[in-house]
Amino acid sequence: MTLIGSPAKNAQLTAIEQSGWGAPFKLVQPHNAAFWVWLIGVGIGSVGIVKFFGAGFGTYRLAVTSGIVFFGIYLIPWLIFLRHQNRYTAQPGGLLATGFAWGFCAAAFWIALPANTAMLEIWTKLLGPAGASTWGAGLTAPINEEWGKGLGLILLIGLAPRLVRSSYDGFIIGAFIGLGFQVSEDILYAYNNATATFGVGQVESSLYILALRGFVGITSHALFSAIFCAGLMWILGRAPGERHVGRGLAACLAAMFLHFAWDDAAGLFGWNDFLLFAAPYLLLMPLAIAVLLVVRRLASRTERAWMRELLAPEVEAGVVDNDLLAAVSGLHRDRKHFRKLVHNRRRADLLIESAGDLAQEIAAAAGTETPRVAHARQELLRLRGAAP
Amino acid sequence: MSTDLPGWVPVEHRWLGLDRRRLKPALFVLVVALLLIYGWPAVNAVVPWDNPIKAGDVLDLGGGATAVPPVGWQLEDGTLVSDNTGVSPARETVKLAKAGAVINMTGAAFDGTAAQFLDQVLQSQDANADISGAPGTFTTTSGLAGVVRTASGPAGDELLAAFKMSVTSPASAPALLVEVSTAPNSFQQYSGEIEALLRSITPGSGA
Repeated sequence: MTLIGSPAKNAQLTAIEQSGWGAPFKLVQPHNAAFWVWLIGVGIGSVGIVKFFGAGFGTYRLAVTSGIVFFGIYLIPWLIFLRHQNRYTAQPGGLLATGFAWGFCAAAFWIALPANTAMLEIWTKLLGPAGASTWGAGLTAPINEEWGKGLGLILLIGLAPRLVRSSYDGFIIGAFIGLGFQVSEDILYAYNNATATFGVGQVESSLYILALRGFVGITSHALFSAIFCAGLMWILGRAPGERHVGRGLAACLAAMFLHFAWDDAAGLFGWNDFLLFAAPYLLLMPLAIAVLLVVRRLASRTERAWMRELLAPEVEAGVVDNDLLAAVSGLHRDRKHFRKLVHNRRRADLLIESAGDLAQEIAAAAGTETPRVAHARQELLRLRGAAP
Repeated sequence: MSTDLPGWVPVEHRWLGLDRRRLKPALFVLVVALLLIYGWPAVNAVVPWDNPIKAGDVLDLGGGATAVPPVGWQLEDGTLVSDNTGVSPARETVKLAKAGAVINMTGAAFDGTAAQFLDQVLQSQDANADISGAPGTFTTTSGLAGVVRTASGPAGDELLAAFKMSVTSPASAPALLVEVSTAPNSFQQYSGEIEALLRSITPGSGA
């Protein structure tokens, strides 16, 4: 099957070039300053972690180890969920792990810890202890933490300029950086909570933090950073037609506002006991999820268009039909519609996954015909019942 | 014509072994990170404390418990009764500072006596800390019986006082730890104010 030269093939090659899909990721790049800055940040952050927990490890080792175990387990459903969200762009695992490590070590312990400590003291001096207790966290964390995490995305642009192109790339990478930060902070909270009781009931204390932070973690750092980093990518406009400075600023500010409102809920809603208890869950959480869904939808447009262009020659060749194309490059409602058409949810999901495999293999082969592309195509045809 | 070999940097783009074309994002990150890490502490260093305790101020220790802080000390952390904000007796922290002397008050949930609480605190802190003084009893004006230990060394003088914040049922009441540290040989000059603070600690009504 030779498709080179057709408009669909040309569009496919353009989509591969613009998206960077299939480009490999390599962290160790000694000639790249971004690698050294990443190494410095993660290195100093790691030393900070050892110093922070090491100082009281003799007394609080149960809190630290149970915090690591509990939040390590907590990480698993998050990774499964985010892997599912990584469906269009399919960023390499190494790149996402690099972002996670930045969030866990550098953003949390190299940047946020000293910056927050100093800034909270400034607010205490300016607003008094009571004012700082009410407003200090919300006026501090959205600045230091959102920027600390966002810097990880900028470094990844320097490390993998071909791979980090669209706002959806920013969305996914931001979520992983934020998740790293979140888990790091959760372990810190488990430790701090144990120190508040001078080491009494450490495992119970970690379980309490797991229950508390695990639930509110749904709308925490992973979400804030996904929104913030999508906004950064809109401001930078690294894919054709993706520069939307106003939208980008709005997304960054929305992430910072959500972070502020969550941290300062006591100040915002303290005038009413019911609101103080309910507003974070009944108002702020739904608001955060609504903002996330809007940003995700807007951010996925370019990736979805690339997916359509990538598979267009396969549509012409009859390997992928229009309904499957709509599902694999579409939104939740498109996939739902496709499941209805196929009358079998499992078979529909397998077809969508198989079409995604074909797109990934085509991108990895830079649009050329390879045994892996041929195999992915054959697998899809087999599932469709059209294999010879 | 330049080469496209991965990892190969054309000579005209090299600078100290680095690829000059990739410097921008790295420099941006480094500058912003250093600004956040060192910029805020620099600003913090030039903003002075200006929150002195005034005559009549009363510390809110949560659950109705109070203490009268020494006038003129800087209140760097903690809540005054006049702030009218909610305070948890098991979470409240207070920090008062004056010329190298620092008083920290920490509320905690603890089942047991004041002496057991102080033992737990000492256990959780540096095992090699030189808390040599024998424990003594200190009774506040309101009748709370606390346990006090002192230490003295080249690093400075230290006093630890532990209370259970109830006269009637102290075992299940929240605990309060008061830690005082001063520069070497200067404890004496603050001892009057510290004793007055400790004596003023009062549990909530009915406690």
